[in-house]
Amino acid sequence: MNRFVRSHWLLYSTHAFLALIVLLPLSFALVSSFRPLDEIFKYMSPITWKTFLPTRVTWDAYVSLFTERGFGRIFFNTFFVSFVNVIAGLAVGSMAAFAFVFFEFRGKTALFVLVLLTFMIPFEVIAIPLYSLVNSLGWIDTYAGIIVPGIANGLVVFLFRQFFLELPKSLVESARMDGASWVRVFANIVMPLCKPVTVSASLLIFIQQWESFMWPLIATRSKEYKVIQVALSDFVTEYATYWNEMFAAAILSVIIPVLVLLPLQRYYVQGIANTGAKE
Amino acid sequence: MRTEKNIGVIVLFLLPALAGLFLFKLYPILSGFAQSLYTVRFLSGEKVFAGLQNYVSLFTDPVFWGSLNVTLWFNVIITPLQIVLAFALALLLNAKIKRIAWFRSIHFVPVAVSVPTACMLWNIMLSPEQGLVNSILIGLGLSPQPFLSGSTQALGSIIAIASWKGVGYWALFLLAGLQEVPVSLYEASSLDGAGRWKQFVHVTYPMMKRTLTFVVVSVTIANLLLFAPMYILTKGGPEHSTNVLMLESYNNAFQYSDIGRSSAIVMIILLITLVIVALQFRWLKTSH
Repeated sequence: MNRFVRSHWLLYSTHAFLALIVLLPLSFALVSSFRPLDEIFKYMSPITWKTFLPTRVTWDAYVSLFTERGFGRIFFNTFFVSFVNVIAGLAVGSMAAFAFVFFEFRGKTALFVLVLLTFMIPFEVIAIPLYSLVNSLGWIDTYAGIIVPGIANGLVVFLFRQFFLELPKSLVESARMDGASWVRVFANIVMPLCKPVTVSASLLIFIQQWESFMWPLIATRSKEYKVIQVALSDFVTEYATYWNEMFAAAILSVIIPVLVLLPLQRYYVQGIANTGAKE
Repeated sequence: MRTEKNIGVIVLFLLPALAGLFLFKLYPILSGFAQSLYTVRFLSGEKVFAGLQNYVSLFTDPVFWGSLNVTLWFNVIITPLQIVLAFALALLLNAKIKRIAWFRSIHFVPVAVSVPTACMLWNIMLSPEQGLVNSILIGLGLSPQPFLSGSTQALGSIIAIASWKGVGYWALFLLAGLQEVPVSLYEASSLDGAGRWKQFVHVTYPMMKRTLTFVVVSVTIANLLLFAPMYILTKGGPEHSTNVLMLESYNNAFQYSDIGRSSAIVMIILLITLVIVALQFRWLKTSH
C-alpha cells in the first residue's frame, strides 16, 4: 500500500512538472498581454509574485492590434483562407476517394499509389518550385495563390477512402438499382454517413491552414493578403518593442485552434492515427 | 455495372483531386529538379542549361558543407530525442490515475500553438536581459545564459523549442497506440513472470511497431524540413550555427535570386529524406 501511494505521488508530481513546462510560456503570455507596455519587464527580476500577476490590467494591447496593426484584416484573411480550403478540400478529397472505392477502372492502383506519395511531400520541400509555377499563373499576392495549391490533399483522400471501404457495398448497389445517379448516391447517401471522418478531415485541413507559414510567406507580398502566422513573424521584426502587443497577438493565434481542438481532440487524433496504423 | 462505361462519372469525381495533386505537388518536384540543372546568366538574366554545375558548385562551397553539417547534427539530436521523450510521455499519460484526462489535454495544447507562435513566445522567454528563464536562473543563484544569441547554444535552444511544441503531439499518437495493446497480453506475460522491462520489449514494443513507424517517419520529415524557427529567431546565425539547408535554400531563392542553386539544395534535402526514411522502414521492419 505504501509503495502504491508513493508511486502515485511521484506520477502526479512528474505530471505537474511537465504541465508547468507546457503551460508556462502560454500563461505568461496571457498575463503579459493584459499589462500596460511600460510594466511588461518592470517586475522581471528579481522574481516576485508581481512577475506572474499584473498589477494593472488593460485591454490596450488587443485594441491596438486591431486599430493600429490591421489584425482585423489578417484575421479575416486567415479565416477566409482556412474556410475555403476546408470546404473545397473536403469536396475534392471525398469525391476522389469515392471514385477509388466504388469504381473499377484501369490504372486505379497506380493512381492511388501516386496519391499516397503526394501526402508524404510536405509543402516546404516544394515551396520554391511551386513559387515559380504560381508566379507564372499570375497568382502571387492573390487569395488563389494561397488557397488553390493546398486544396487537393492526399491525406484527405486517404482518410475518406478508409472510411468508404467500411461501408456496405449493398447500400450503394441498391440505390443504383433504384435509379439514383452516381452524384445522388455520393451526395445524398454516402456523404451523410460520413460525419466522423468529415470532422477529422476538416480539423486536419483547418489546423494545417491556420498554422501554415512558409507557403503564405512566399506567396504573398502585400499587407492585404497577410495571414496570421506571417503577420506574427513580421511583428517580431517590425515592432519588436511592442511586447504587450506581441503577447496579445500570440494569444490570439493560439486561442482559436485551442477552442476548436479541445472539444474535438478525439476526432483529430483518431483521424491521423488511422492514417498511420492502416496501410 | 461498375465498369469503364462510367468513364465520364469517373473523370468527374477524380479529376479535381488528381489535377490538383499533379499540378501542385508532383509537378513542382519535377520542375524543381529541372530548375536545379539551369543557371541564370549574371548580366543578361537568361536561363542557360548548366547540367550538374549547381551541384558541383555546392559541393565545393564551405557554406553549403557547414549548412549540411548543421542540418545533420540538428537531426541526429532532435529526432531520437523527440521520439524517446514522446514515448516516455505517452507511457506517463497512459497511467491509470485520476484526472489523467486533464494532463492529456494539457499536452494537447501545444498542437494548437503553431511553430511561429512557439518561436515568438520562447524568443521572449529566452531573451538574455529580460527573459523569464534567465530571471528564474538568477533567482536560483545560477548565471544567465545567452540562449539564442550564443553560437554554442542557439541550435540547442531551437531543439528545445521545437521539442516543446512537438513532443506532446507525437506522444498522443503513441498513446493511441498504447491503448490498443490488449490488456490480456500484459496479464499473460506477468503470469509468465515478466518484469516491466521484459513486458516493454516483448509486448509493448512489437504491438506498437506500426504506430512507432508512423511517428518515427513523421518526426524525421518534420525536422529535416524545419525552417520557421531559424528564419524567425536566428536567420541562420550566430556564426552560421543554425543555418540549416532549408534556410540556405530559401535564402538562395529569395535573397540572392538563385533559383537553380536553391532547387539543387531542395533536391539534396529530398534525397537525404528519402534515404533516411527508407532506412527507417527497413530497420523497423527487420528488428524483432
